[in-house]
Amino acid sequence: MRRFWALARSAALEALAEPLSAILFLVALLAVHLLPAFHLHQFGEPGRLSRECGFSALLVFGLVFATSAAVHSVGRELESGTAATALARPVPRSLFFCAKVAGVLAAFALFLFAVAGATLLSIVTSEMGRIVTQGDVVAWGPGIAAGAGGTLAAFALAALGNAFLRTRFCVGACLLTALAQPVALAGVLFLSHSPVPWNLLPALAVLALGCAAFVAMAGAFAVCLKPAAVSAVLTVAVLLAFISPLRAVMPDINRFWLVDAFAGGGAPAPADLCAAAGAGALLVAFWLAAGSFLLARREIP
Amino acid sequence: MSEPVIEIAGLRKTFRDFWLRPVAEAVRGVDLTVERGDVFGLLGPNGSGKSTTIKMVLGLLAPSGGKIRLFGLPPRARAARARLGYLPELSYLHPFLTARETLRYYAGLSSLGRRDAKARTEELLARVGLSSVADRAVGGFSKGMARRVALAAALVSNPELLILDEPTSGLDPIGTRDVKELIRALAKDGVTVLMTSHLLADTEDVCTKIAILSQGRVAACGRTTDLLTRTQDARFTVEGLAETEARALADELARRYGKPVSFDHPSVPLEKFFAETVRAARG
Repeated sequence: MRRFWALARSAALEALAEPLSAILFLVALLAVHLLPAFHLHQFGEPGRLSRECGFSALLVFGLVFATSAAVHSVGRELESGTAATALARPVPRSLFFCAKVAGVLAAFALFLFAVAGATLLSIVTSEMGRIVTQGDVVAWGPGIAAGAGGTLAAFALAALGNAFLRTRFCVGACLLTALAQPVALAGVLFLSHSPVPWNLLPALAVLALGCAAFVAMAGAFAVCLKPAAVSAVLTVAVLLAFISPLRAVMPDINRFWLVDAFAGGGAPAPADLCAAAGAGALLVAFWLAAGSFLLARREIP
Repeated sequence: MSEPVIEIAGLRKTFRDFWLRPVAEAVRGVDLTVERGDVFGLLGPNGSGKSTTIKMVLGLLAPSGGKIRLFGLPPRARAARARLGYLPELSYLHPFLTARETLRYYAGLSSLGRRDAKARTEELLARVGLSSVADRAVGGFSKGMARRVALAAALVSNPELLILDEPTSGLDPIGTRDVKELIRALAKDGVTVLMTSHLLADTEDVCTKIAILSQGRVAACGRTTDLLTRTQDARFTVEGLAETEARALADELARRYGKPVSFDHPSVPLEKFFAETVRAARG
């Protein structure tokens, strides 16, 4: 367990220490927070734009963040030699692979936490806007200020930590922005007492499981292919995932995309949530097993 | 006699391309035995198969033929790898981790308990002279400092066998001397060392046994002193003997034995002279 923890922790740190991670956190969160400002384009339902864009941010930015981290964590380590120094120790190769992917998924869970907080806050802010826009006065100002301001303040705090305490800027920025989202949400709820659509969270978690299957797949391909080749394969895999010709092994994005069920005040059926979560977990397990199998047979020069 | 630490018999390795066509035959039938307590030097020119042999011993590469036993076990057996430490040719370190975190990471990979890991980390940081920079990210370290961290990482699990690939690469003369002293001290404590080096003087200084590889085969193998000593010749060192006296003595020996006699004045090794000069300059 100690070996698993050591490997997973370093993989999570490595994923968050990349400058790309901090950029993706910042862009995704600011995009979600600024959506309520588009109050003239609500798609017929206040909060819908925020809800759907929150899911999209998780899918697009989350996939880029987590799959690139998985390729880096597994592929680049095998190329650079850090994997050799770990595997020369009493570390089974399957444990090495699973721990690396688990570490990346832990970093991705932080991204999910941040995006979930931002999405809820954005929806609450849109609802606040609906209450007041009838008199041509919009009330999304405090919500946007709390969300976007909190995110930017977290980055500023991370920069101060780096300057004065020598903490890692990118890691600090990712952690603090994630923490800033529930704080901002709590602050806005304290002012407005608006209802929070908590029932979005299981659907977001299911979408994250679908992304996790891609992360495990990226790790498995990174065992035997160069990073550039993995990127090409993943692009094809994502495109295939939308038309789902290989449902057994390829994550079918339509199955994990349950946000449409929320239209008009609805919600996805618990059975659909459970089925999608089960399929996601099975796909993650499949690609973890495939990656472990490939790594066990791979020569490490 | 105890069981050999490393036993290699008829080891071969052929690298193949994507279509499984042979590309290079790196190792062509190597036989070696490393006994407990040996400081064994694996020498050879570039491409002679040293690193490939070491990677097969570590279980990172699969042999194409032959047999390797590590503590009597196959190289990929966890029980065997739990007893060794490895320093690669380049100090592969995670640049975002500090020196202290790096050692804790490797302690974790060796399943050391939290308290043991902490104590061992601090002990090794002091031993390699990096305590004062322990909280700096290793990505900003010089090559020599990174080498010290990698060496400490190799020692973190208190290994019985230490495999060192070019251990002094990137180190300045003082660092090189420190590493050689460390290897000697470890050997005195009963640690078996298998090392490769391009620096023949370093190998000669610390290795009790050497094997010279050439084109994937063992060209020479044995105790360092046995391989290097010319027992048919003799050399005397007489302290405080002037040039004229030495020449007269040489002439006398030549006359008595009827063989040519030469003499020279001993010199100190450059490494020793350098260390003494730097120490004197630092006061």
